[in-house]
Amino acid sequence: MSLLYDEGQLAIAAESRRVLEARVQFGHLLPLLEQQGQFHAAFWETVKEQGWTALALPEAYGGLDLTLIELGLIAFQAGRSLSGAPFLTSSYGAARAILDHGSDALKHEWLPKFASGDAIGAIAFAEGQEVVPGAAAVTFADGVLNGIKPAVSAGLKADVAIVLARQAGTPVLVAANLAVATRQGFNTFDNTRCTADLVFSDTPATVLISGQAALDAALHILALQAVVTAHEQTGGAEALMERARDYANTRRAFGSLIGAFQSVKHRIAELYGLVELARAAALHAAAREGHGDFLKAAAAARIQATEAYDTAARDCVQIHGGIGVTWEGGLHLHMRRARTLAVEQGNMLFWEDVLVDQLAGESA
Amino acid sequence: MSDIAEYSARADAWLQSVAGTFGSAARKGLSEAEDLALGRRYLKARYDAGYAGINWSPEFGGQGLTHIEKVAFETEEMKYGMPNTWFGISLGMPVPIMMKFCADKAFVRERVIKAMQGEEIWCQLFSEPAAGSDLAGLRLRAEQDGNGWKLNGQKLWTSYAHHADYGVIVARTDPTVQKHKGLTYFWVDMRAPGVEARPIKLAGGDAHVNEVFFDDVRIDDSNRLSPVGGGFAVAMATLMIERYVATDSAGFGPHLDLFISLAKETKINGKPAIEDGRIRSAIARNYAMRNGLDAITARAMLMMKAGMEPGPEGSLNKLVSVRSRQKLSELAIDLQGTDALHYDEHVSTRDNWQTSWITAPTGRIAGGADEMLLNTIAEKILGLPQDHRPDKGVAFNQIPA
Repeated sequence: MSLLYDEGQLAIAAESRRVLEARVQFGHLLPLLEQQGQFHAAFWETVKEQGWTALALPEAYGGLDLTLIELGLIAFQAGRSLSGAPFLTSSYGAARAILDHGSDALKHEWLPKFASGDAIGAIAFAEGQEVVPGAAAVTFADGVLNGIKPAVSAGLKADVAIVLARQAGTPVLVAANLAVATRQGFNTFDNTRCTADLVFSDTPATVLISGQAALDAALHILALQAVVTAHEQTGGAEALMERARDYANTRRAFGSLIGAFQSVKHRIAELYGLVELARAAALHAAAREGHGDFLKAAAAARIQATEAYDTAARDCVQIHGGIGVTWEGGLHLHMRRARTLAVEQGNMLFWEDVLVDQLAGESA
Repeated sequence: MSDIAEYSARADAWLQSVAGTFGSAARKGLSEAEDLALGRRYLKARYDAGYAGINWSPEFGGQGLTHIEKVAFETEEMKYGMPNTWFGISLGMPVPIMMKFCADKAFVRERVIKAMQGEEIWCQLFSEPAAGSDLAGLRLRAEQDGNGWKLNGQKLWTSYAHHADYGVIVARTDPTVQKHKGLTYFWVDMRAPGVEARPIKLAGGDAHVNEVFFDDVRIDDSNRLSPVGGGFAVAMATLMIERYVATDSAGFGPHLDLFISLAKETKINGKPAIEDGRIRSAIARNYAMRNGLDAITARAMLMMKAGMEPGPEGSLNKLVSVRSRQKLSELAIDLQGTDALHYDEHVSTRDNWQTSWITAPTGRIAGGADEMLLNTIAEKILGLPQDHRPDKGVAFNQIPA
């Protein structure tokens, strides 16, 4: 795998851009912010229809056998267009957990449905400030889960969740069919994420992997998702950088385009730098999957992308002045998404620690 | 192994074989004159080994390979701290400009070979006291004198001019037209009567830059490298010669590994600094940023190898890396507490936080100040408008002072 996109990959980038720009608009997304548990149906239908759910899954289960690089390209465009649901990333994480650690029966049950988009997956590792809790509050014993996994992205709509639980004092990763779990939705500042507390009460679940290996597996799944998300964040940052540039090229003040003022143009040039660093890092990380340094590359890409998207959201609004803070202007959609993506799959503090542990270990 | 990997391995084997003679350990404690002399011997050895003028035409004594091999060699060479800085400008800009713009090819070939062998050094006489970022505002005059020209005025910040045999120079030939249009490009003999280079000591204690005075310096019209009034275009061509050189995401300061080692050795509130959240955050952010720069460079190399033009994002390297080197050096000094106050100006900026810190501002100003790089990104890449420029469309001698 290379840092240069081939023709097929460039075609995926161009086609996903064309389709999503035609079908997802600010106007569709704004009302969804004020409705709990609603995602943008046209977005998710498009994802399924285009086969993007199948992209990075094996052919044996109805997938297209492509890689994190291709999935990253779709996520990049989803970030540019503000994806209307979190399922592309959440289902990919769940699918990889089952693919890498599940029994054949589990694979046959779920993977074809993930590939077609008929099933939605969720990742339920975090508990509050703990991203990968070594001693989770949710317990697993005698084949059933008990306890609450709080604020699970896609939790309101998912059919299956990969849950990090505690079994007789050791970590365990299990797959739980959510048909028999309770979901408690609540308002978030980005409601299309369909975030919910998952309440398990003697909920049957199947063990994927246990012990320290379960924590390692959870971290690896998060890293895979983090690379997909880094592409999405970079796409969002690029869209904001372009909006800031376009506005600065049309808005006039003091007898001049505001883009001529160095306080404005330098801010936008700095955004360009952040976007390009994040883009290169995300692609690098996608290309390192399967190599020994993948976790390091994923953490670095994640940090750079979070910084790019948050900064772009902050500065793009600032450059727009008053119009930037209106509801109708819609820039707050990106502000909300930037912060949401920064927290899902582990916050900045978590990834900084992961990265430094890797680096400090190396130079020890 | 790919061809390039093989080339790099061969280059590295040669570099290793001479590192004991020329590398950083051999240079320790040398005076400027001694280090320059060692540098000349290194360049001769490098030339004889076939690693000089790697991507230059055999017409001028080059190896006729591509810039990929050149960058591959430079990347290996950078690891050894060879005494090549004296010749960086010379071989980087003036000599390539001579190859491209000087009509007397036999003369150029002789100069190129002597420059590659370290026997002759060229300097680039651009900036002046009143013209740095605003290069086209320069004032040094070239007036017609018989069938030649006479130079009068002052240049500033000219690297290694005090060691230079030749220089390329931009001069004002017509002050009555707009500033960009009255400039002409020449080469000059730095040993000619009326040329005087005076080293300027910089904040870090070294004196590699000069102010250079020109007092009735006579040159032939054959020294002219541009049409009369067409000098600015040649000066701009200089900036385009080597868009991708061996870059360093550490901003030519210490590698991040050194900071991590320091964080393991030092303590904050009795605990290893590597466990302190502030230090961890700085390490993570710096690594993430440098990793991004390295990925940009790696992608650019692959693009060149595939015969494609790399994207403009390569221009981010200097802006981002030197700025972060400056701040990381400050933090490293903080980490050492009062131990940090020890100072030896002769230690390499790659090995030492103090010298890295005190010389970092030069990196943010020389070769395009941060602010100019941001302007270039905004205007050339993103298509934002130029700032208000009261000197636009005005004859040079009518610009309000």
